Parts: sequence; structure tokens; C-alpha cells
Amino acid sequence: MKFSISRQWCAEKGKVEDGVEIGAGLLGIDPLLSSDSESAAIVDDSRVALGRFTNLNRRQRKLSYEALADIADVEIAELMNIEHDASYEPEPRTVYQLASVFKVDAKKMMELAGLIEAKDASYIEDAVRYAARSESLEELDEQERAALDAMVAVLSKK
Amino acid sequence: MTRRPEVTPVALTRFDTKTLVDAELWDAITEKNLADWEAKWTPQLLKLLEALYDQGVERALWPQSRHWDWRAKTRAIETRLDQQCFAIVCEGMTQAMMITDLTRRARLAGQTNDHLVYVDFVETAPWNRREILGKPPMFTGCGSILIRAAIEFSKLEEFKGRIGLHSLPQANSFYANKIGMTDLGQDPEYQNLRYFEMTPESAEAFINEGA
Repeated sequence: MKFSISRQWCAEKGKVEDGVEIGAGLLGIDPLLSSDSESAAIVDDSRVALGRFTNLNRRQRKLSYEALADIADVEIAELMNIEHDASYEPEPRTVYQLASVFKVDAKKMMELAGLIEAKDASYIEDAVRYAARSESLEELDEQERAALDAMVAVLSKK
Repeated sequence: MTRRPEVTPVALTRFDTKTLVDAELWDAITEKNLADWEAKWTPQLLKLLEALYDQGVERALWPQSRHWDWRAKTRAIETRLDQQCFAIVCEGMTQAMMITDLTRRARLAGQTNDHLVYVDFVETAPWNRREILGKPPMFTGCGSILIRAAIEFSKLEEFKGRIGLHSLPQANSFYANKIGMTDLGQDPEYQNLRYFEMTPESAEAFINEGA
């Protein structure tokens, strides 16, 4: 279909529009920019902490992915996704199984995974902060061990 | 393959010199537009991730899912190519895109349940967006031309120029103050985006201003 739109009209409207934002529709949302993505970003942050917590626990126990998957009776691929992909939403059963192995509160782990809504999210902020303090090294150093202990503490509190 | 689009000659305003530049309004989003999206639009947006890096944000804390969101967005657009789409092309590059939907009905009192053209998606290229650049955009006028296209399409469908859309927060002022649409408030069913509607009268006023 073709329309008749004059140059003069385009000139006038260009002047009025003046370079302002015009985005519309859910598809137009910029995940990086929109304030509407704040809740998604919080879930991502807590999943980063969940991934780091899983990684530190596994390495402290000197377990391979395969070994931890065996012990927890979960899929290896899911473990790897949990550790490396903050956008990955783990299965509730997997989180429950990991909480049992790591001896922390399963409900809090579920909240950290973004699977259930946290009534008091302050411990999630703590977990994210502790996760951010730890760096990715082959073996747990003192700092990582301290970060892990702190995360276990906040995830174990009833 | 997408069909060859019909072309309406239009013009965009180069923001820095305020000069008019010939452009084309296409009545389709084609493979070329999608290629522009992937090869030129997306890298500009991902430069924001570089900014995070430059600010010293630890990589583990980057919003990794955002990459996938953009890919999902491209896929979502591809799946909607059977709907009526529009694109503006200027200087060989896609400058803006719009997807419309004819299945929605009006909400505004006085035209409730009447047919309208619902604007499902509108976006301009990152270089035309002040918010992305942090500086003046390259071209302005894309939004007005695409809204004009939606109105003309609505008239062709005998919807008398009625259109509706959910505005992104940063564009609310454009639709309320510069286009003259009626603000029906936040829509909890739509991530609390504000819903705007245009009546046949306000559509005519929009077209006649500057004619």
C-alpha cells in the first residue's frame, strides 16, 4: 500500500518530534534500559549468587559436575546452567536436591533461584554481595571459603 | 521470503543540520530490515555492555540474559512478518520499524469495542535515540511518519483512523503531547505500560497539522 505524505508535512512533524523517544509495545522494551526490567535484573542477580554458591560448594567438596549430579540426583547440564547462566531458570526439584546436599534451607534456595517470591529479600542481597566478593579460581582460597561460609550462614538461618 | 514492499516517499530531518533527507516508508519489514537490525542495531545496543565493563562491573554480574533477549526479540519480529509491518529506510539503512495488529478493539469511551489498528511494536534505530547515544539523534521524524502510516492504514481498513498502542515509559510524552493521543493510564495486563488511543478526530487533527 502507498500513501500520500508530503515533504512539508514530514518537515513540520520532524521539527515537532525533535528527536524524542517514540518506542511502543512490549517488544520495544530495552531490557538494559527500562525500569520495568528491574525485577528481572534482581532475579538475575540472585541467580548469579545461586550459581556462585553452587560452584563454591561443589569445589569445596572437590566434586566434578558429574559427581555432584550423581549425589544430588540431578542432570549434569542443569548444574552447569545453574553455575554459568544467570538467565537459566532451574527446576524446583533440582534446587531442592541441591539444598539438601548443601545442607541449607530449601525455601531460601528456591527464593534465591527466583522460583518463589521472597518475603524478606535482604538475605538475597547479602548472598549477592558475598557472591560478588568471590573470584573464580580453580581452588577455594581463604576469601572464597569465607564467602561460602557467609552464604551458607545466610541461607541456613531460619 | 518476504514480499517486495510498496514504497511511499517521505523525508526525515537530519537533527544536527535540520535539513530534510529523502527517505522511504515501506509497507513491510523485509529480510534487509532484519539484517540491518541484527548487523547494525543490535551491536550498538550491546555497546552498553561494554559500558558496564568500562565501569568495572564484574563480568559475573553482567546481565547475561540480555543477549538472549535481543535474539528472542529478533525471532519474535520474524514470526510476526505476516502481520502488517512498516519500515523507514534512509541512506540505505533501516531507521525505524513498526508492526501492527488488526485484532484489537478500542477501549476509549465513545469508541469502545470499535475496530482499530493496534501498534504492536515501534522502535527507531539506536543512532536515532537520544537515550542510547547520550547525545542528539541522527534523524528525527520516524515516529510521526510511522504513526501517520498506522492512521492511513486504519482508514484503508475503514477504521476511520482509530489506532491504539502501549507506550514505553520514555515515550509517553511523545504520544500524549506531540501526537495528541488520549492517555487511558497504566495497563496492569501489559507490564504497566500506559495505553494510548487515537480517535478519528484526533487522527485528522494530527494529519492536518503541518499539511
